[in-house]
Amino acid sequence: MALNICWLNDLAKAKDHARQTKKPILLDFFNPQ
Amino acid sequence: MGAVTYPNDKVVKFVDYNFVPVQIEASNTALMNQFKVSWTPTIIVLDADGNEIHRVVGFLAPEEFISTFMVGKGKYYFNAEQHPEAQGMFDEALRDYPDSAAAAEAVFFMGVSRYKMTHDPKPLRASYETLTAKFPGSEWTKRAAPYRLIPN
Repeated sequence: MALNICWLNDLAKAKDHARQTKKPILLDFFNPQ
Repeated sequence: MGAVTYPNDKVVKFVDYNFVPVQIEASNTALMNQFKVSWTPTIIVLDADGNEIHRVVGFLAPEEFISTFMVGKGKYYFNAEQHPEAQGMFDEALRDYPDSAAAAEAVFFMGVSRYKMTHDPKPLRASYETLTAKFPGSEWTKRAAPYRLIPN
């Protein structure tokens, strides 16, 4: 299994999705290197 | 986090059920600055309006990750005045991860949430007593210290 990241670098779409699903956002700042 | 915590099956199920997960690369300076992030990993719980509810800096192993963000989800409900749901999350964190670093915060917010729901101050005193007994060195025990003055 792997974590299904809903959105990459797009907080606006995540907010819309959070409103629709009534879930909070888990905003993960990461360094891919 | 990507190598150890995010591939963990329990973490995957927990995040999928409870959150809308978003990853922001450190090169995204606009969002790094907006949220005043200066180190990665930094993980923030936001409500749908973008209000910050909970923040953690640094690596979390799978069990600490789940317990930490159970408390974060509880605080999301707490901020929305959904106290039964908030207490459910704090209770779950305390039941499943009683020795985690997040457990003391769960005890603190459980007391506050019960007080806000009932206006009875006794749960605040009870949270102080639990914190003193189980987590004497925790910052949450210090923050609850004034509740020792509440009569039993």
